[in-house]
Formats: sequence, structure tokens, C-alpha cells
Amino acid sequence: MSTKGRCAVKIRVERDVLAEAVAWAARSLPHRPPMPALAGLLLVGEPGRVEISAFDFEVSGRVEVAADVVDPGRVLVSGRLLADITRSLPAKPVDLGVEGTKVTLSCGSARFVLATLPLDEYPTLPVMPTSSGSVAGEVFAAAVGQVVVAAGRDDTLPVMTAVRLEFTEDLLTMAATDRYRLAVRELSWNPEQAGLEAAALVPARTLAEVAKSLATTEKVTVALSLGTAGDGIIGFEGAGRRTTTRLLDGEFPKYRSLLPTEASSVARVDTQVLVEAVRRVALVAERNTPARLTFTDGEVRIEARSGDDAAGTESVPGSLEGDDIEIAFNPGYLVDGLTALASPVSRLAFTASGKPALISAAGADDHGSTIGDGQYQYLLMPVRVSV
Amino acid sequence: MSVWDDLVGQDEVVAVLREAARAAHAGATAGMTNAWLITGPPGSGRSTAAVAFAAALLCEDLVDPGCGRCEACRSVRAGSSPDVTVVSPAGAYYRVEPMRELVARAAWAPSGGRWQVIVCEDTDRMRGPDLRWAAANVLLKAVEEPTARTVWVLCAPSTSSEDVLPTIRSRCRHVGLRTPSTSAVAELLVRRDGVDPSMATFAARASQGHIGRARRLATDEQARIRRRDVLALPTSIAGVGEAILAAESLVSAAKVEATELSEVRDAAETLALRQAFGMEERRRAPTGAAGALRDLEAEQKRRGTRVQRDALDLALLDLLGFYRDVLVVALGADVELVNAELADAVRRLARTSTPESVLGRVDAVGACRAAIASNVAPLLAVEAMVLALRTG
Repeated sequence: MSTKGRCAVKIRVERDVLAEAVAWAARSLPHRPPMPALAGLLLVGEPGRVEISAFDFEVSGRVEVAADVVDPGRVLVSGRLLADITRSLPAKPVDLGVEGTKVTLSCGSARFVLATLPLDEYPTLPVMPTSSGSVAGEVFAAAVGQVVVAAGRDDTLPVMTAVRLEFTEDLLTMAATDRYRLAVRELSWNPEQAGLEAAALVPARTLAEVAKSLATTEKVTVALSLGTAGDGIIGFEGAGRRTTTRLLDGEFPKYRSLLPTEASSVARVDTQVLVEAVRRVALVAERNTPARLTFTDGEVRIEARSGDDAAGTESVPGSLEGDDIEIAFNPGYLVDGLTALASPVSRLAFTASGKPALISAAGADDHGSTIGDGQYQYLLMPVRVSV
Repeated sequence: MSVWDDLVGQDEVVAVLREAARAAHAGATAGMTNAWLITGPPGSGRSTAAVAFAAALLCEDLVDPGCGRCEACRSVRAGSSPDVTVVSPAGAYYRVEPMRELVARAAWAPSGGRWQVIVCEDTDRMRGPDLRWAAANVLLKAVEEPTARTVWVLCAPSTSSEDVLPTIRSRCRHVGLRTPSTSAVAELLVRRDGVDPSMATFAARASQGHIGRARRLATDEQARIRRRDVLALPTSIAGVGEAILAAESLVSAAKVEATELSEVRDAAETLALRQAFGMEERRRAPTGAAGALRDLEAEQKRRGTRVQRDALDLALLDLLGFYRDVLVVALGADVELVNAELADAVRRLARTSTPESVLGRVDAVGACRAAIASNVAPLLAVEAMVLALRTG
């Protein structure tokens, strides 16, 4: 492998294409490289294309771009430096060449010489599993954005920092919880394996970044490795960009049984109006003090106070079916859920003031608590208040 | 060459680990455990054993895992396997924050689909200077309930409650390394490092089974000279003045030794990182490089303190070895001397001392080691010790 690395690689590639690819791959470079070689970007030139990869032991990013490859081969170069250089090159074709332990990079009249890094110290990159199915980039990004808000950030509870992805032949389900709220989204997708029945715990932070970066691509391919030979990673691909990430092992809470199937009262409120009112009232709430909501037919009253000094109240219009109810929430969590809903009217279903409330979109057909395609549910634990 | 070859004189432990790796490959649950504690005196090969075990768990040879030739074995030993993490305290103690990251990492699924192994060296350093186990407590739950394919391998000098948090110890399967014999260490030095047999025997004996120390003594003349100077101390301090001067030279020699050890390693690390960021020719630092270099520097500084303390401790161990010889002679025991080449000096001191006074000196050295371990200024501790060692 190392002798192959020393051969005279020669690649010509468009400046914009190269700069964009390098910048994208460089996002997977570790900030604090666990070993020096991982600060490098791996460039592999093959006839007609060049592949640029980065790896930090957890996430790998690989992007493939069209290039005129005269002499194929592979080379490892300092990633941050290459990214800094390609970003500032003039808009002309870029020639990359390897001579001995040096990489030369010329573009117009600009010429750079970089040192290569030893290839034999570079770890083997994870192999992208075979495709399990695909979904439109925009839909995928929106769904991921809706569930990651509920994912935990406490590293000492690792399972809670993940989004559980469930794959079946009809549906792709995403779920995340930090024990105080639970977000579930189902969407239809295009599975490529018959009889697929699988689940994976994907680190929420990585999933959010990947989904965002693939939001504009027509098709995102999801690739989960199944079986015992390597079920530790999942891959996402769109527009020539491939990301693999390590999965988390562990037991995700059995969340389906948590979703209430019946409600004693159901409120419908204009989402934007409610969000703004809760934000305003919460201004007087101290950190971690709840906002109290009183639902009666025609009105929702929101109150928050800190000690005896400051208090805020506001009422917004809303409809209510069933019993009046008084319930308190962490205002930040409530706003997170309402915002993620992305629906003009919210449906809030309650069973009791000490039991979690289910927030979903109040659509024309009003799905209630049965989730189906495109349905989003946000289950929020109330805060117990004295007085 | 199998991964077990560097582990000398530890046949029993190798057999246990090998069997466990075999059971793990066969999918049997009986022979395999997710949390291990490897104990043994410093230099006996705790980390070597842990890494060999990790390699065997990931090895592609399913029948006799630990072949040492496959890609998995090779990458584990080179430190480039995504599924093996080896942590050691950067400074004298483990800090809490990196432990939290480790707990998060322990929840990862193995990328190769088999196992993920996390090796923690020196768990005795998880106890902070306040004697509390803050760092160990962060790990507790993750070690207690590891995910199905994560294996913890903790390394400690012993199973005593000073070396490993008892609640962690009780969750681990324990294997104990013994002090490798002089002949086993000498044989390794000859085979692995190409050391001349007589030099290898001297170094193995003088290091009292500490493999890393033996290698250094065998390959570094300066280290041998410094050791000789340390061992001249017991017979050359009669008065208070001499004693104080000897204390100072002992501490400064340890400092020199530590600096030599650190400088080479620090420079190599810094160079590798600078190259990785493409900064070899005084080039402006690219994005992110300055932060990474600053972190490395801070870590090297913390490690430097530890290396210095360790070097002084090794010198004190050499002194202990000398007094042990004196005691052996004074009691007329028929045991091999650690410092055979200093037999004359040993006998001289034995003639003029009683076993009680020698034991008093042994205690003084022990007290000094304990004082330094609990953050007493090294020079003060050594001065106090040297005054108690006076022959006058």
C-alpha cells in the first residue's frame, strides 16, 4: 500500500468542485486528532474520479468528484491545510501531483508544495454497508430536525444521546428522548430490502449534521449493516457524499407504550401565538421554573413566576374538548415541541395534570394518537408544582 | 509472531486470557467477561497484557486468536484500531472530564462488529490528591453494566482498595501478573532488543523484574551511571552535610532522567502533530492547529510532572533493593543479591548494621515514597529520608 502511495499521482480537477469537496470532507476531521494521521485527508485518484475522505474513529466522510486522473494512486495530506488552501485558490483548474513525499498543487500561477503524511499509519476506513433504502433529502432533514430536539445531551446516559431509527418495509420511524420529552416521527420511504425489520441507535449530533448537509439532495440513501459481520455502523449517502457513523449499543426505552391512546381533554391552539406567549411569560421565570397553563374552552392562560417578586400572565385563544385542565411544563421544552411541530395549529391532548401531554399537529383529519406517515408526536412530561 | 510473545513469564495469565478470547470468538458466554482487572507490579506487563488481549478479541484467527499477523492484530498494536481505546492519566491523576468522554465512547457499537475494548492503565491514579475516587466514580456505572460488546480492561498494581475503587474491583474478573523472573526478562531483552546476554542478565536483575526499566538500563549507559550514583549513596553519607548534598543530587538526577525521557517523546509527538497539520516549514498554523498543539503541550506538561515523579520513585526502588541486599547478608540468608556487582559495599554495610537498623532504613525509604506520592515536595521528602539513612 505504501509503495502504491509513493507513485506519481496526477490529478486535474475544477477548483470549485475540489474546494467544495475538500471543505465537506474536512468537516469530518477530528478537532483533537487521537492520532496524527487522522488530521489528514485521504485522496484516492481513480480513472475519471477522485475520492476524498476523513475519519475520526467515530464518523467517516467520503466524497467523490469527477476529475481527470492521469496517474491513479492514493495520498494522505494535512486536511486543514488543504482546506485552507483550496478555499483561497483562483477559479482555474487545479493540478495535483505527488512527487516522492511532496504534493504539489498548482492553480493558475499559484503553486503550493505540501508534505504527504505516512499512509501506512492511516486506519482502514469503514466500508459503506449496502443500501437499505432511500428517502428525499428534504423530507429526511425535516424529520431528523423534528426528533433531535428531544435527544439528551448528557454523555453519562449515552443511549439517550441517540436517535432510534426503525426500518420496516413501509415506514422509517425516528424516536428520541431525554426522559423529559419524547419525539417520534414516522415517514414513508423506499426500502430496497424485502422483509426489512431493523433498528439502530444513531448519535443524534451526527445524524443532525448529516441530515442538514444532505437537505438539498434529491435522494438520501440509508445503509445499515445487518448481521453479525459488522452491525456497528450506519451510512448515509447523497450526491456523492457518504457519511458513516458508529452506532450506539444499548437498550432504548420502550417508547411506544408511553404514548397515551386516550385523552380526557384535547386543546387546539394556534401554534405561533402559543409559542410567542409562552416565550414572553417565561421571561420572568427563573431557570428551570415551570410555566403553568390553564386550558378552558375558548382560552389558554399561561402563568410563570419567580419567587414572590416577578410574575407574568397572558391569555391566548384556543378551543378545548373535554374537562378543563391546569398543567405545568418546562417552558423551553414546550416551545421546542411546538416549534418542531411545524404546523399552524397544535393539538394538545391531556389525561391528567400529573400525566404527560401529547402534542401533535391539528390537521384536517386529526390523527389523534395513532401515528402514521408524516405524523409527528411530542410527548412532554409535566412539572409538578406545589401550591 | 503471536501477540502474547511480549508477555514474559506470565503463562497462567496468558492461558486465562487466551481461553477467554477463544470463548468470545466461539460465541460462548461462559469463558468471557466484559470487565477485567489486570494487576501486577509496575513493569510486569499490565498494559502489554491488556493490549494483547484486545488484539486477540479482534483477531481474524478464530481458532487461536492473537495471531499477531492479521490486519486486526496489527492495527490494535499500532494504536490505529477504531475499536480499541487505551487511556492513561495525562498527569499524576486521571481527570474527571476525559472519563465522561470515555463513558460516552463505551456505549459505541464495535465498528468491526466484534468487540470494542477500552483499556485504562493505572487505576490507582483514578484517586485524586484529595484521596477521593472522583474519576473512578464516573466510570462505575459503565463498568458495572457494560453494553454487550464493550470490554473494559483495567490495570492496577494490586487489588487493594488503594489501587482500585472497591466497587469497581468487585465488578471485574481479576487476573494477576507476577514479577517476571530474571531469566525471563533477560531472555526477552536478548530476543526483542538484541541486548548482549550478560548485560541482559545484569539489567534484568537490577530492575527487579521491571521490564521497561530493564530495557533502559540495558540500552542506556547514562541510566546505568545514574543508578550507580544512587547506589553509592548508602555508604557515602555519614554526616548531615553530606546527606543534604546527596539528597539534592538524587532529586536532580531523577529530574535529568525524566527530562531526557520526556524531551525525546515530546519532540516526536509535537513534530508528528505539526506535520499532520502541514506546519513543518514555519508555515502559518492552519485552522484548528493552534488549539490542538496547545492541548498537546498542556498534556505533555502534565505528563512531565508524572514522569519526574516516576523517575524519582525508580531511584528509591533501587535504594530499597540495596537495603534488601544488606538485610539478606546481615541475616545470612542464602538468596541471590539484586546488586551482585556491589557485593563488597553490601557486605561492608551489613557488618556495621543490625537487621533492625536496616529495617529502619527500609521504612525511611518507604515513607519517602509515600510522601512523594501524596504531593510532598520531592526534595523535602528525600532530605528527610537521607537523614534517616545516615550511617554515622
